[in-house]
Amino acid sequence: MSATTTGPTTTDTTPTVLAGGQRLVLLGSRTRPWFAVVVRTRAGAVGAAFLVLAAVLAVATLTLGELGIPLAELPGVLAGEGSRAQEWTLFTSRLPRLGVAVLAGAAFGVSGAIFQSVTRNPLGSPDVIGLGAGAAAGAAAAALVWPGLVPTPVGALVGAFVAIAAVYLGTGRGFGAPHRMVVVGIATGAMALAFVQLALVRASRESAQEVAVWITGSLAARATEHVQVIALAVVVLLPLALVLTRPLQLAEMGDDLATGVGASVRFSRPAAVVVAVLLTGAAVSVSGPIAFVALTAPQIARRLTRSSGPGILAAACCGAFLLVLADLVAQYALPGTLLPVGVVTAGVGGIYLAFLLVREWKQVSV
Amino acid sequence: MTTATVAPRAPQPARLRGSRSRTVVLAVGLVVSLGVLVLMAGLGVAVGSKAVPLGDVWRALVSPDDSYNAAVVASRIPRTQVGVLVGAALAVAGAVIQGLTRNPLGDPGLLGVNAGASMSVVLVTAFLGAGLGRTVWAAIPGAVLAAVVVYVVGSGRAGSTPVRLILAGAAVSAVLVAVVDAVSLAKPDVFDSYRFWAIGSLAGRTAQTVSLTTGFVVVGLVICLAMSRSLNAIELGDQAATSLGLAPGRTKALAALGATILCAAAVAAAGPIGFVGLAVPHVVRSFTGADHRWLLPYCAVLGPVLLIGSDVIGRVVARPGELMVGAVTAFVGAPFLVAAVRRGRVGL
Amino acid sequence: MSVVEAGVAPLAVEDLVMEYDGAPVIDGLSLAVPRDAFTVIVGPNGCGKSTLLRALARTMKPRAGRVLLDGAPIGDLRGKEVARRVALLPQSPIAPEAITVGDLVARGRYPHQGLLRQWSDADARAVEGALAATETAELRDRLVSSLSGGQRQRVWLAMALAQDTGLLLLDEPTTFLDIAHQYEMLSLCARLHREGRTLVAVLHDLNQAARFATHLVVMRDGAVVAQGPPSDIITAELVESVFGMPARIIPDPVTGTPLVVPAT
Repeated sequence: MSATTTGPTTTDTTPTVLAGGQRLVLLGSRTRPWFAVVVRTRAGAVGAAFLVLAAVLAVATLTLGELGIPLAELPGVLAGEGSRAQEWTLFTSRLPRLGVAVLAGAAFGVSGAIFQSVTRNPLGSPDVIGLGAGAAAGAAAAALVWPGLVPTPVGALVGAFVAIAAVYLGTGRGFGAPHRMVVVGIATGAMALAFVQLALVRASRESAQEVAVWITGSLAARATEHVQVIALAVVVLLPLALVLTRPLQLAEMGDDLATGVGASVRFSRPAAVVVAVLLTGAAVSVSGPIAFVALTAPQIARRLTRSSGPGILAAACCGAFLLVLADLVAQYALPGTLLPVGVVTAGVGGIYLAFLLVREWKQVSV
Repeated sequence: MTTATVAPRAPQPARLRGSRSRTVVLAVGLVVSLGVLVLMAGLGVAVGSKAVPLGDVWRALVSPDDSYNAAVVASRIPRTQVGVLVGAALAVAGAVIQGLTRNPLGDPGLLGVNAGASMSVVLVTAFLGAGLGRTVWAAIPGAVLAAVVVYVVGSGRAGSTPVRLILAGAAVSAVLVAVVDAVSLAKPDVFDSYRFWAIGSLAGRTAQTVSLTTGFVVVGLVICLAMSRSLNAIELGDQAATSLGLAPGRTKALAALGATILCAAAVAAAGPIGFVGLAVPHVVRSFTGADHRWLLPYCAVLGPVLLIGSDVIGRVVARPGELMVGAVTAFVGAPFLVAAVRRGRVGL
Repeated sequence: MSVVEAGVAPLAVEDLVMEYDGAPVIDGLSLAVPRDAFTVIVGPNGCGKSTLLRALARTMKPRAGRVLLDGAPIGDLRGKEVARRVALLPQSPIAPEAITVGDLVARGRYPHQGLLRQWSDADARAVEGALAATETAELRDRLVSSLSGGQRQRVWLAMALAQDTGLLLLDEPTTFLDIAHQYEMLSLCARLHREGRTLVAVLHDLNQAARFATHLVVMRDGAVVAQGPPSDIITAELVESVFGMPARIIPDPVTGTPLVVPAT
């Protein structure tokens, strides 16, 4: 039962009208296509740019340093023709590390994009509200306190869900008050990290390396199994996040409006949160609670693509790039010292958070 | 303390008949709390990560010999002493910060002051040597700098609100802790215990620590306690305070100085221990009210109770290892943060 | 209140009970929205008019009672199905940061699209039509955040129009607008009504309601006190009993509709 369309009548040869900066990928006829997906050109370009940069940095991680493989020899070693030492460096040490960096960075980026969209505030990011710390506590429980009971990633997921439930219930207002979420998240995060300290002490694992992995997040000594875990998570969850993009876009405009347009906010919002929590849990289980990638990647991506909506793909590419960059800096910034990547992201990310806060409060006169 | 001093207390409901008995009750309570403190101190000496029979503990205190147990007990004495000093310092500093900023969420840890003090100690130790680094003087510049930065970041157009300060504190702390981590990892020879300067611990505190910090803590406590009445007035608002004959700017600066000295001393002695400054004033305020003349002394007595108690828990729960006291206070104190935020009036 | 004679009412509620925080706001209300009318719901603050609209738009679930769309319970229909028949302009929609007018209006086509069919010529035509009807076509590439209040409200209306529905629900569409824009918005709504849509709007200004409505519903304390054409039901007694204000009713010198003049 539709109303008569008003206004100037259009002929059938009018080109498909899309807002600027979008392209239509079309299969089938124009009037009844069976496949028509809107692609934002600018977002695609930004994402591709980040991936290219990440690739350049990736090559850098493989070639730099004492054990680095010279650029010319790299294809050879990849094909299996290098020396044993080179093969070890590449396949056992650096490629897994790179794989985790790219995939965990993407996971953090997507998780941050979803949470920031759902809470309509950059401060709603999972690392700021204590979600990462909760996942670390769960992972520590599974790996150190009750080893062998459940796999570490499962522990991380459980910890992440406990943390998000604690924040949701603790604020007394659900996700509606992002600043409250952050304060409750600080409390939850402090308790979670205290639990991790306890787990470390009881398991007698108090070396700087161990602590760095569990408390700040580190990409040192990553193995193929880590890559497998995070790859599985990203492969399964990223498409789900993409499917939820449009309902999330609508939900950003207010629950009433979104429901009025037929989006099921009551389903899509919790579903998106679950996806984001799973992504964070998976990422933390392989890299520790690396801070602030989930906060900064979506923000930077949004600023560059100048689009609205969660921007899942752009955030994923940006997150991958940021983490690879941070790892590179962590390894080579202080000669002679291998910093955990979490230290670099915390240092830079904290400054970015302060900048976000100042900007928000200079604007709002409330 | 007689009720003839009613005039400056006018804004509070004056119940003449009840206030004297209240004073007595509070005074008695303070004495009882001191008793609790002594007990807790005893517990701190008697219990530890190595179980020592009570009889041996007593003997070690009264007539120490050369046995292993006696040495263990002897090592706990300065640890407990530091616990008393640091606990009092943190609790009083937290109460003062909360009064100064009219912010129930105030805590030296949450507002980045601890992280700042820690960072400057680490930097001084790394670049100017461990001798200078172990003094409280090394901790002061970082504490002051962090407090200023957090205040600037946390003040928007409409001034600062408690939640904004906490958020700013989280951001600044993140950066400062990253610096601490980086420096202490870069110089492993200088920093034997990697996490100490990031989370705070009473382990390994010696008599030297006690002597280095006692003076500062005493000075800081004296300053803060002397400002009790002024702090009461400040809490009513700057304008009300001025009409009562105070200069709010100078008062706040002086109180901030006292709190900073306390924080710096606490961090220099035991690393950045958080949540004590949040939780203890919270609990104390529920029975003393906001009167700083009672609030601060109670904090000075009950702060050590919390801290030593947390230390004991940390030593027991992770035997034969020890869980750092900063982790235990996080467990114990973090729920207070949630409770305070939910109670509202903290300003989104 | 029985169902309108000319067939099933497009939108109706039966024995509706709505609650806020456990306290009933509407307790057993039945109402049928007449087809092809411009229905306006008025009442004092807290009478439940916005709540009633939210029940009609199914953005709020009733505690008890039924909401019927074309005679069928609205809860039985899928969200997009409902959205193809009913569009809502809510009270405080949130404009995302970096969105253009064209983009925003295009989002109103969501109920006609699918995961794999995200755009078609029909969508383009509907968006063009909506922009033209609200006279916002020249604003197409501007950022919504850069628009004035009046322009922004027209853009939100365009988004609702792009949904291409026969029923349009508007929750206080004139809030935050200055007076010229208020009347401009209401005239636009009246024109949309004349072109063949059924409108239901919540207004807080009784005179505006009297001027533009073809069917007026007056509420108080969660119940309907009177409904019908404004000239029939607006009386001094009604105004005094519902709004607590003594008034005189005179014919509006411009339109002839009832004009409420306070008599205090």
